[in-house]
Amino acid sequence: MCDIIWCKKDFEGKPCNTINYLDPYCFWNWEGTINCAECGAVYYIHMIQGKMYRGPEDRPGEKPDTSPLYADKPLEGYRFYGAGIPDRTRPFECLPRHIYLGVPDMVKFSIRNRPVRGWRPQAPDGGIAGSYQFNWDLKRLSPDVYEEYQQKIKNGEVTEW
Amino acid sequence: MAEKRDIEINSRADTIDLMNPDIRPWPVTPPPSFEEVMEKTYAKRKAEDFGKWCEDNLRYEYCWGKPEALQGFKFVCCGQWRMGNMFCSGLLCEAGAEVIKVEPPGGDPLRKLTPFGREEYKLESKITGAKCGLDFLHEMRGQKSVTINLETEEGRAIYKTLCSQVDGVIDEMPPGYMDSIGLGYRDLCEEMPRLVYCNIGVRGTWGPYKDKMSKFGQWTLEPFGGCANAFIHNTGFPQDQLPRGKGGDPTRSGVWFADFCAGEQAANTLLAALYWRDEMSGEGQFCEVSGAECQNEILDFDISWYGFNKSIKARTGAWDPNLNQYEWNPCRDGYMMIGGQTDRLWYRIGMCIERDFPQFGRLIHEDPILKEMGGRNALNMLVKTYTLTTRWLRDINRTEAETKLLEYEIAAGPVLFIDELSEFPHFKYRPWVCTIDTDHYGTILFSVSPNAYAQATPHRTKVLGRPVGYDNYEILQKWCGIGQTIVNEYIEKGVM
Amino acid sequence: MAKDPRETRIEDLPGPKSKEELEEMKMPYEEYCKAQFDPGNEFSKPQSLKGIRWLSTTMYIFTPHSVSNLAELGADVIKVEMPRMGDPMRHCAPFNETYLYPLHDSRPMTGTGMGYLNANPNEYHITMDYHLPEMKEAFYSLVKMSDGLTECYRPGTFDRWNQSFRFLQEMNPRFIYVWGGGFGYGPKCFGGSYDILGQAHAGLASVTGMHEYMGGHPLKHSNWCIDWYSGTQITFGILAAIHWRRKTGLGTMIEFSQVQAATRCLGYAAPLYGRFGIVRQRWGNWDTQLCAHGIILCGKSDFPDAENPQDRLEARYAMVSAFQDEDWKELCAITGMKDLMDKYKSNNERAEGEAQIEIYAALEKWAEDKSRGEVCKTLQDAGLLAEPVCNDREYYEDEHWRMRGTVRWMDDPIFGDILQHGTYASGLLSKTPRRLFWIWRPVGADNVKIYHELLGYPTKTIEEWYEKAWL
Repeated sequence: MCDIIWCKKDFEGKPCNTINYLDPYCFWNWEGTINCAECGAVYYIHMIQGKMYRGPEDRPGEKPDTSPLYADKPLEGYRFYGAGIPDRTRPFECLPRHIYLGVPDMVKFSIRNRPVRGWRPQAPDGGIAGSYQFNWDLKRLSPDVYEEYQQKIKNGEVTEW
Repeated sequence: MAEKRDIEINSRADTIDLMNPDIRPWPVTPPPSFEEVMEKTYAKRKAEDFGKWCEDNLRYEYCWGKPEALQGFKFVCCGQWRMGNMFCSGLLCEAGAEVIKVEPPGGDPLRKLTPFGREEYKLESKITGAKCGLDFLHEMRGQKSVTINLETEEGRAIYKTLCSQVDGVIDEMPPGYMDSIGLGYRDLCEEMPRLVYCNIGVRGTWGPYKDKMSKFGQWTLEPFGGCANAFIHNTGFPQDQLPRGKGGDPTRSGVWFADFCAGEQAANTLLAALYWRDEMSGEGQFCEVSGAECQNEILDFDISWYGFNKSIKARTGAWDPNLNQYEWNPCRDGYMMIGGQTDRLWYRIGMCIERDFPQFGRLIHEDPILKEMGGRNALNMLVKTYTLTTRWLRDINRTEAETKLLEYEIAAGPVLFIDELSEFPHFKYRPWVCTIDTDHYGTILFSVSPNAYAQATPHRTKVLGRPVGYDNYEILQKWCGIGQTIVNEYIEKGVM
Repeated sequence: MAKDPRETRIEDLPGPKSKEELEEMKMPYEEYCKAQFDPGNEFSKPQSLKGIRWLSTTMYIFTPHSVSNLAELGADVIKVEMPRMGDPMRHCAPFNETYLYPLHDSRPMTGTGMGYLNANPNEYHITMDYHLPEMKEAFYSLVKMSDGLTECYRPGTFDRWNQSFRFLQEMNPRFIYVWGGGFGYGPKCFGGSYDILGQAHAGLASVTGMHEYMGGHPLKHSNWCIDWYSGTQITFGILAAIHWRRKTGLGTMIEFSQVQAATRCLGYAAPLYGRFGIVRQRWGNWDTQLCAHGIILCGKSDFPDAENPQDRLEARYAMVSAFQDEDWKELCAITGMKDLMDKYKSNNERAEGEAQIEIYAALEKWAEDKSRGEVCKTLQDAGLLAEPVCNDREYYEDEHWRMRGTVRWMDDPIFGDILQHGTYASGLLSKTPRRLFWIWRPVGADNVKIYHELLGYPTKTIEEWYEKAWL
């Protein structure tokens, strides 16, 4: 065992088989208890310079000091628990927004409500050998977004800053 | 090799000079020879011809026999405290221009700064006896030092005469100061229409958030620039990796980085404006750069990202939020950087680590999400990848990791400290730290200009460091026609 | 002067010549600056580098930025990318969230990530698989009609393809050729490099971040700062070479190591080690030479109810600067650090390691029950220097940068409404300002413009090349 904890406790009638990842900067020098993201078993670990100096030792019934950020189950198609699932993983607070997508954000309007080409697919508009002109004919290429924009103008939602 | 000798150490003072390159030469072990590099590097890639051509045409040692790109250009630099004007004028000097650094009679206060207040780490001029801090000394790369008290009428007249001789002025005084004493751009441009004038500031010399002075006259210095432009907010370990207050905080650069950004863009701005003057218009102009803005310009897409969907860039420590792998993590004797995002490199990294640590291959390469390049960049995947990578790194040291990774042609490198990088074979071969012999301060180890490796006009550091006012007599005689008797009077009167 | 020296003419006398000039001389300095730089009216003025044409066979950030500086200053730049794929940086977006579409028509579901932003503005984007013998003619034609080229391939690659400096110099002796990469000639010549490698390998990481005893590790500068900073230094090399070429008519080759550029900004690290054997270490949010001059953690956020975690949790840091003795005394008086005031009288005493630890601990203690705003306001009201550590939103909303025109919205011809913080921020010029035409173009968007309109190939040939993926 090292800086992953592969939990093999019996859980709901079969081995838990969950890997709890102890991320390097947080746990490089660390002592305390941590729970398994799947079965909730609590382990005591003492890591010095990335090595398990003591543990993982079972600490049944104790309240864990912390949780992993990430855990997955290789035997079940890598089903995983990402950051911030209550009682399983610890939250990742330092994020750019209150939500976290991890996939492309389909944006049609900038924060001042003017059209920006941030969504897919886009209607083809190229000429010879992939050439493009120097304008974006929104009305012709994306009439629905054009309409939405006209509505925004009417509603006074389009601002300077 | 230096000779062996016996030394007696009775106190710390006896040890201070033992590392002097005159006693312990740099480098401690010699760099590889050209023949070794030919055999072990160029020949391995079947690039013997090309390698030889590069060394014949670009070698640092040959720079001394080549012309200088900016020969004939002259500048006056009037600035204090900050690195911006120093770096800008240093760049110009290295490229061959002549720069006069105008200092108040006591010298630029930057001369007085020394790490942790240790006076013993200042160097003393063998000729004048004046002490100088190392930050100042290291950026004083051929600039000449002239002292002028701009608060006196005579001083202002001298300054104006100096300006009449130059192509450009670098002004890093507080906002509006030069203008208020009648030496700003609008005062000079009428008589000197070809003059290019560049202000350097931290947040700028005009506008509602311009540079301030305290009520006691203390200047705004770096890292105020990095505070204003979100660089510091965006740099640091997140509190999710290290506790807040114990490493998990927004963190400044170890150096005055915004100043360096401002200095180099100021130099570019001056050269562009001079090109337009010489090639097209014959006219000078007024320019301004600020550290906060120049550094913000290079914060990738950060502000634009806010305009896109109100994201506010968050710090991510030693990991990059856009790429996987692209980070450094701790290893047995320090930290190891690994980079490789495209599939080709990603699987090579995996193969390399798998050889020692088979579980890595299983957990990483089998995971369906990690098979897709975009998907790998998600935060969860960074946590997984880097945990397992560090599991491998913790058992090996930096050199071992580097050797293994380079076998797979992966961009990888250790986090090096200055002593280690000064002895790293490539760095001393090229060299990019090097010693320079100076008449005032003895032998000094310094960072070589990265523009020093060019076929026609390599940049070079000819002089390092200069005592305050060392060039008073020469420059006043040559540029202003003022002889030594009057200069002496000026010095007496506190004008210089 | 008038022909007759006895004649007095108004234009020969010092001082203002017209009512307008008189007004200008009387203008407060700040208004004068604003009028000179006149943000927003850049396009009524000429461009510094008019007439320079540059080729950019670059990728990522470092080498593209050496060219983007030229493009912003008015050079015509042709960016050459690999057919269909484009620059790898196009496939890079923060947390995989932020893309603009399309990459080009044949891949409607793929976009260009924001990672590409600011590195290739104003350029004409063409595609070319230039290592094919069939494309050599077009490549050489471009070389003959350009002033220079920046490339970033592994050393020797362009040489193998017969397009390194030693070949191109013969076609165009005025050619300025730049290779930018990790290491340059020498034992690690073929080592690959990235921004982060420069930061790690060249010593910058060893001096940035909290000290070990504070719990910290070596720290990376936000994203790709060193790539950008090094690219700007190449621009300096290019501009100097252009000046020299004005005199001599001769080009040059510049070999620039990005990793080395990171060592260049280490200040006293090299001379301190070289002379005294002292290895510079990281020192967190404080300054190694000045005290008090550091960033402190305050007790409360300025925006405790904000939705965005960066506002809600992070608006807690303030930069406090009082290193001169009078400022220090005032700071101690305000924060109740009387004992420290007597203990540490000079900056040299305060800058000692132990002193700094004690001083910043006391300052953070004082700030424990205050918000960032309160800390700054208290000190500013006393005439001291203290400012908040701002985030991107605050930078965007600050009137200062808007007035200076260094943050502005732009209507990109292809991609629409983009908030822009590059270009104008790298320096203001009163007569030949930098300016932005477009942020980037789809892959191959200017193939016809360059191959047909500039090099004269028939459109049929261009289509044929395109179908074979040579373009």
